[in-house]
Amino acid sequence: MDTIGDNFTNSDAKVSFWKKNTKAVPGRPSPTNNPRESRQKNPMSSTSFQDFQESVNDAWDVGDDEFCMVSDVKISRKVARSAALSVINSHQHTSSVPQQFSISEEKKIEAMQSLAAGRAPSTFLIQCESEVQNPRSPVAHRQYPGKPHMYRGATLMDKSSTVGKDSADSEMSKLEKFQPLLETSLLNLEDLRQLSWSGVPIRVRPVTWRLLSGYLPASLERRQQVLVRKRMDYCNLVKQYYDTERDEAYQETYRQIHIDIPRMSPLIALFQQKTVQEMFERILFIWAIRHPASGYVQGMNDLVTPFYIVFLQEVMPDGIDFDNYDVSSLSKEQRDIIESDSFWCLAKFLDGIQDNYIFAQLGIQHKVNQLKELIQRIDGPLHQHLQNHGVDYLQFSFRWMNNLLTRELPLRCTIRLWDTYLAESDGFASFQLYVCAAFLLNWRRELLLERDFQGLMLMLQNLPTHNWSDSEISMLVAEAYRLKFTFADAPNHLQTTKRGLRLLSSSAELRFILSTSMGT
Amino acid sequence: MVEPIFDYQFRLILIGDSTVGKSSLLKYFTDGKFAELSDPTVGVDFFARLIEVKDGCRIKLQLWDTAGQERFRSITKSYYRNSVGALLVYDICNRASFEHIPLWMMEAKRHIEPHRPVFALVGCKLDLANSSNRREVSLEEARAFAEQNGLHHVETSAKSGVNVEDAFRLVTQEVYGRIQTGEYKVEDGWDGIKTGFQRPGGLDFNLIEAEPAKSTCC
Repeated sequence: MDTIGDNFTNSDAKVSFWKKNTKAVPGRPSPTNNPRESRQKNPMSSTSFQDFQESVNDAWDVGDDEFCMVSDVKISRKVARSAALSVINSHQHTSSVPQQFSISEEKKIEAMQSLAAGRAPSTFLIQCESEVQNPRSPVAHRQYPGKPHMYRGATLMDKSSTVGKDSADSEMSKLEKFQPLLETSLLNLEDLRQLSWSGVPIRVRPVTWRLLSGYLPASLERRQQVLVRKRMDYCNLVKQYYDTERDEAYQETYRQIHIDIPRMSPLIALFQQKTVQEMFERILFIWAIRHPASGYVQGMNDLVTPFYIVFLQEVMPDGIDFDNYDVSSLSKEQRDIIESDSFWCLAKFLDGIQDNYIFAQLGIQHKVNQLKELIQRIDGPLHQHLQNHGVDYLQFSFRWMNNLLTRELPLRCTIRLWDTYLAESDGFASFQLYVCAAFLLNWRRELLLERDFQGLMLMLQNLPTHNWSDSEISMLVAEAYRLKFTFADAPNHLQTTKRGLRLLSSSAELRFILSTSMGT
Repeated sequence: MVEPIFDYQFRLILIGDSTVGKSSLLKYFTDGKFAELSDPTVGVDFFARLIEVKDGCRIKLQLWDTAGQERFRSITKSYYRNSVGALLVYDICNRASFEHIPLWMMEAKRHIEPHRPVFALVGCKLDLANSSNRREVSLEEARAFAEQNGLHHVETSAKSGVNVEDAFRLVTQEVYGRIQTGEYKVEDGWDGIKTGFQRPGGLDFNLIEAEPAKSTCC
């Protein structure tokens, strides 16, 4: 299929732009590893990670500050460790033959665990449900593309994956780390990012998200003041643009939002409430008219949802499912807070990915091509399989990018994923690419079993994530992190992408995209 | 997934304004179910179903459901080229969606070129038009437009299922007819029409015509 995007890569396809450096670079898989061999393995499999871990062992040296500065990924060692540990840990649980771990490997893991004496509590306790990898019963109950999944238990506490006490303990010990940090007079945002990356405890999630998104200031004493002012600002925006007679120029925007919102997430009762729908309509409308370059794009409501739910739960009585909660029973003041805070956090959040929604959605087209390049590099057989059956990356990953995977995951998982997105220090725009790559690779085994275009497409549109919980998301982002860590700093990558874009056009718009998406 | 035997595979695309009912039409056609509400389509979704044409030939339909919003146009555009037919979908209870049909048709023609696509004009939400008297596009008007432009026309309801099957069948039958008359040929590098695992007896002449280089030997 011809896509605009294909032009990006054609000329570069022949030239291998990935750096083939034979020099040992700390943190990069050592070149002595046979890349072909490792590519054939499932990147999510424990062997592959063990290989990787072995090859990058030199990156874990305590005090190796230089490495952290050299890498343009800006990984903190703490994050790196907790990500690595969560992968190891979950592989231990998912691996059907745990004996495969040789003794020396176990020792190595122990050593790494003791290294991380700071203990990242929740990642230690990751437990994967064994049924996750279950071969899907071939389209047992038919799903529809983009159909929001039913989710188990409307409360976001994950009851099923972690056994009660452990999970509560871990949540508590994590909470103990968050609370002092949140109460310091001048918050160290970097510390908060590191702590949040692997998941934020429910109780501190609302304030943490406000801080991470840049809505709340680091200074503790200024926070209340900022909140009051911002909430008033939003209130005024609504009065000015929404409540009064709407400008002719905004009629189309309003009309589209107004027909889309009542039909959003039909399986979640909460969103069928008129009060909730009106709040969403105002948030999206005000955002759209303040961002005329992109305006409202279908699917954006899915990006409001996580903020909305988190801020709603903040004021809801404990232990109640939000799904059937009557939002109009809240006071107007409480509702206004949910609405304005959702608005401001959404606005900050979308700042980093506005190029996704501008004319021709060039940001997404660019990312889809990056995804293709990445998969080609990481998993040749899977890439070839997709190509052989005529599956184009745009056909399945466009929605992944446009809706940031919200349509592919249960809501509780989206919220957990948002913890990591918001904690990504350089904005999640580039990280999301790796999340999508990890997401695709996660299904490689099932995908390779599909024998035609139709089977592949139907599967890719309905990936069976309905049983997913926080632990799968932790796995996913850890894998994404590993991919970014391995591939993002290939020095020639950036140049090639620039060259590819120049081929397409040299318009100001593209320069804008380059500066935003490459600005990290 | 077990691959059913089919003789031909056609790719069709559904286009039309946002919220006219494209996804619901497809959902009913491929699964026989109707949902009162459905999330707006983002980009493009894929559906498939096997049907039989009049002489018993089995056709696998691959169907692209497109997002109606203007912003997705640059993405949906790339799906036209490999389509052999298009369903131009409007909402019987939404006049504007009918008035935009010529624009949708022009866009489809332009991008499906050099192939001449089979079109059907499909009105949706017939149940709503009948029950609550909300009709904004008369049957006569739509029919006149269809005749003028050489399109099939049908009014459907994805809720009751009335005429849904017909909408797809009309297009499929005509594509099949055009294969038989020789207007359409299976071409390498074009996914609009493909042959299945079993070629229908006696219908192979077009395939041979399409590959003259190979048929010159012996």
